Amino acid sequence: MSDPSSQGPLVLQFQNTVKDYGGKKIGPVDLNIGNGEIVGFLGPNGSGKTTCVRLMLGLIRPSSGNVRVNGYDPISRHVQALNHVAYSPELPNIQTFLTPTELLTLVLHELEFKGDKEDEIKRVLELVGLIEYRDTKVGKLSKGMVQRLSVAQALIGNPELLVLDEPMLGLDPAGSAHFREVFREFATGGKGTVFMSSHMMNEVESLCTSVLIIHSGRILFRGSSSEVIRKVLDYSVVTVEAQGLQQETINSIKEMPNVSQVTINNQTIEIIIKGHEDIRPDLSDLIVKSGAKLYTIKTADNMLERAYIEALKKNGVDR
Amino acid sequence: MKRAIAKRKVLALLAFTILLDTFPYYALSTATNGTGFIPLPAYPYIWVAGVFGLQPLFLNFTAILIAASAMSEEYEQGTAELLLSKPVRRNDYFAGKFLGGFILFLIILAFNILLSVGSAFTFFGPQASLEILPGLFIVQAFSSLIFYSLAFMLGELVRRSSLAYIFSSAVFFASFIISGYLGLIYSLTGKEFYRTVQIYLPTSPANSLPVQYASPLLPQTVGIVLRFVGADNTIVPTIELSVAILLAYTVTAIVLAAGYFWYADISRRMG
Repeated sequence: MSDPSSQGPLVLQFQNTVKDYGGKKIGPVDLNIGNGEIVGFLGPNGSGKTTCVRLMLGLIRPSSGNVRVNGYDPISRHVQALNHVAYSPELPNIQTFLTPTELLTLVLHELEFKGDKEDEIKRVLELVGLIEYRDTKVGKLSKGMVQRLSVAQALIGNPELLVLDEPMLGLDPAGSAHFREVFREFATGGKGTVFMSSHMMNEVESLCTSVLIIHSGRILFRGSSSEVIRKVLDYSVVTVEAQGLQQETINSIKEMPNVSQVTINNQTIEIIIKGHEDIRPDLSDLIVKSGAKLYTIKTADNMLERAYIEALKKNGVDR
Repeated sequence: MKRAIAKRKVLALLAFTILLDTFPYYALSTATNGTGFIPLPAYPYIWVAGVFGLQPLFLNFTAILIAASAMSEEYEQGTAELLLSKPVRRNDYFAGKFLGGFILFLIILAFNILLSVGSAFTFFGPQASLEILPGLFIVQAFSSLIFYSLAFMLGELVRRSSLAYIFSSAVFFASFIISGYLGLIYSLTGKEFYRTVQIYLPTSPANSLPVQYASPLLPQTVGIVLRFVGADNTIVPTIELSVAILLAYTVTAIVLAAGYFWYADISRRMG
């Protein structure tokens, strides 16, 4: 599936790229990622997400087609291609006998970092909340802390493209929220690009400017969260939190145009609407005029998850 | 290097080196005390027992232990993937892994030589001809390259440290044992074919070269000590041929490992 709809200069390109593992083939993948995007890469296990990531990092060779990172082939021009690319793997493989400071010093050495190394290490450790553990052996850090360190080793040295594999895995809610802000700040104003593989739909929906859904090595959908939702789902969902709703009002809601289903759970009502027309203004008018207290009215939080599941179902994946 | 030192395997090797370079001297001094088992003129050269006695088995096996895991453990632990996702040249990574492990081996080799001389001095008095030690260190290091390179290559090809140890050790012991049988058959039959095959087995130049280098530089009396540790008989006829065979094996192994590393995909972490 070709998708040239990227912003700014291209940092990542897949051109008819195929990886043939013998028994299993991933691709052909055509993909352009522009500078400043935060891309959420979604797909079930074995769909080809990791293969795409490994192709862009030059860890594996494409069987046919091309991959370009910053305009360079990541295999034959590995150093030029990955000069400003940083990777945080899903299960960080960090030597347990190193301390965060030692690891980051090693990474800066590999990056041939020219600035003040101590300052850079301090900056990044503060950014990920590990400054107090700078001299603690990795083997003594918790899973969440190791995940933070994995992101730290990716953020260090001023990268321009962050490739993150499940970056929020093992983080507490506060940590996830903090990292969302870090990644958003990283990409603000076209400073950097984030390519994030994840199974956490809410994280992707709230953070990413663009979503890719991959299945069996083929990209099924590409666009903003709302675009993907509109492409995949023929319905939308609105949730209402209100107090003092009468049966008469609920009946009126059910009779609204395109409303197909209303489900009540205590003070919360879930309304399923055919199509994607925004009924929230009319709905709020109706509820307020009925005399009920309206607390919230919004599109359901998990629409991307519904779209993702529906997209996979349409392609023969039930779970 | 830091990882290698952090692993208990290296500590075990060092401990084993200490044991092998001290206890035999103590036992030998006790056994020869007043018996004339080792003649007095040979006492200043008793250090060669430790230096040459360990080469055939322990040093080559140490080289295998270090080299077999140099590449494979990086794949097994997933650190190869993390390191090579950085803007690091594959050539630099490969050279770093090869040289890093070899430097570690050189440290153990130097430790072995120093400990042998120290023990010899302690139990048998002042030692002589020590000026050849720097050259001998280089020759022993070069001789050990053959099994270091073979194990390094196998580690890269199979990408499993346990398999690499097994295959490398199998090559080493097979060569060692077959060489013994071929030598015996040759001595019984006199057929040149068996001698030729024996010469080109990897253990032959690895064990011959240090003796070929040191023998002309040491007095005749050292022959008693060399005979005692079974290092008096070189299989390869000339020093040039030993060097040539060592180079052929070493270069072939390095080229195969480098070629595979360059063209094959980087393995993912294994469970």
